[in-house]
Amino acid sequence: MNWGQLAITVVTLVSILGVVTLVLNMQYGHAGMINFGVVAYFAAGAYTYVLLTQPPPSETSLDQYVIGLDLPGWAGFVGAAIAGLVFAAITGWPTLRLRGEYLALTTFAFAEVFHSFIVNEQRFANGTRGLVGVPRPYREELSFIDYDIALAVASLLFLIIVYVIFERMVRSPYGRALEALRDDELALVTSGKRSRRFRLEIFLFTAPFAAMAGAFYVWYTTLAIPDLFTSEVTFVVWIALVLGGEGSNRGALIGITMVILFEELIRAIPFDTIRAAQIAASLEVAALGLLLIVFLRWQPFASLTRAPKRVARS
Amino acid sequence: MDLLRIEGVSKHFGGLNAVDDCSFTVEEGSLTGLIGPNGAGKSTVFNLISGLYEPESGSIKLDGEELAGRSPDEIAALGVGRTFQTPRSFFTLSCLENLLASIPSRGEHLMSSILGTYRAEEEAATARAKDYLDLVGLGARSDISADELSGGELRMLEVARQLMRNPKILLLDEPTAGVTPTLQVRLAQTLRELHAQGLTVVVVEHNLGFLLDLVERVVVMVSGRVLTDGDPDAIRSDPEVISAYLGRRDGDAA
Repeated sequence: MNWGQLAITVVTLVSILGVVTLVLNMQYGHAGMINFGVVAYFAAGAYTYVLLTQPPPSETSLDQYVIGLDLPGWAGFVGAAIAGLVFAAITGWPTLRLRGEYLALTTFAFAEVFHSFIVNEQRFANGTRGLVGVPRPYREELSFIDYDIALAVASLLFLIIVYVIFERMVRSPYGRALEALRDDELALVTSGKRSRRFRLEIFLFTAPFAAMAGAFYVWYTTLAIPDLFTSEVTFVVWIALVLGGEGSNRGALIGITMVILFEELIRAIPFDTIRAAQIAASLEVAALGLLLIVFLRWQPFASLTRAPKRVARS
Repeated sequence: MDLLRIEGVSKHFGGLNAVDDCSFTVEEGSLTGLIGPNGAGKSTVFNLISGLYEPESGSIKLDGEELAGRSPDEIAALGVGRTFQTPRSFFTLSCLENLLASIPSRGEHLMSSILGTYRAEEEAATARAKDYLDLVGLGARSDISADELSGGELRMLEVARQLMRNPKILLLDEPTAGVTPTLQVRLAQTLRELHAQGLTVVVVEHNLGFLLDLVERVVVMVSGRVLTDGDPDAIRSDPEVISAYLGRRDGDAA
């Protein structure tokens, strides 16, 4: 087993999915808005990045996609963020009045519709076949270092930036207002605050980060295929958040680290037959579910991830 | 001068006339009681004033400003403070944070929250919040999260939360329900102090002993309308009020 390669993979994936977990924690853990469609931001960012940076379709290939702008990597990255914002606006605005499970169902539906669009509209990104071997940007500029290491470092930096921003928000009166909204919206409204403003704002502000994580994911996998952006991503992130402790950014990161470590360790086991690998893949999902139940029942690391208290204490 | 003027306000729920052509005024700086038997529409009136219900007709003016048709947050921002029959608070926040979360803050804007340009304002607000917690007797509980408070303490926290906002008028919905006698005395004391400082207060209360000793004027509601109003002594002996509460004996004249 190549431990170095495993470490690089874990750091990269934890950083990328960690950002998505943090976004979910801001929306659900702090503001109490149940989002079961968080994969859609991730996918919107990934696909937008690809459409903006890939070359136009050639006549000779089997490609069916229409848009290919051949822009530089950074433009694709910025585009991904904007796509996340637009998607959050489209889904956030009509769902402003929805609470609890209604919001959960609607966000889930939006994500499924988007996924279905990617699968079925060949002209968007080749449908189910997707785009394979997406070129990684800035390869030459980074030729002095192993690209995988560079990507791991870049995604870790991205995670740190997002963590610092969110943590500052959470510890400020803004985070307090979000938690007040989660605790009792009517009490907040009768204190003269527009709860709708906070609901919409937290959707719009956090979604672009998940979308940018989507662009990182494309760099990592060099793939933009629908199978990578199913609701499974949403559920993995949810499991991570519940494991780590909703309402705590640190907990969210501990949770996603545990999940990714677990998955990657199982994947690193050398299996002799394909059948064995298939069984292991199924057992991995079952084991993750079992882990979730165990954590919910006994909360073994609760003290590690208890939500931090704000500065405004006497 | 009238601070609050309610004129011909109605609200129906299905076939029930919860509030029916109701009119009364509240003078600035006064301490007014609003009483009436169950179902008289007292809480509905509070919900209409604070914008949780929209009146079907009539007008509600605070300081000359029309409240009817505005959203609850606008009305609250215009200076209406209210508490609920079942006290509401931000139960995962500490008592101190409950008060701080009830006033507008620069730090509630994204940029300011990330850049941290709210610190000075926050310190001043914290000092004020502690004063209000002391005032309602929760000074020693400021770091305790609200879900650890007793029912009576929750009511006091809600009052403190609203006071923190510096409202023009404070509407209290059954503030003594579930509150221990000691805390009740404290509450009455606090309300008298605030009254002395010029705050306008309207209290809905079933505990008439508490209310009639506290207020200077009482508005009596029956079946969604104002039956009568007057000073507590007049209300105490008003046969109409007594019969509204206790029912009429057969054969009594209307």
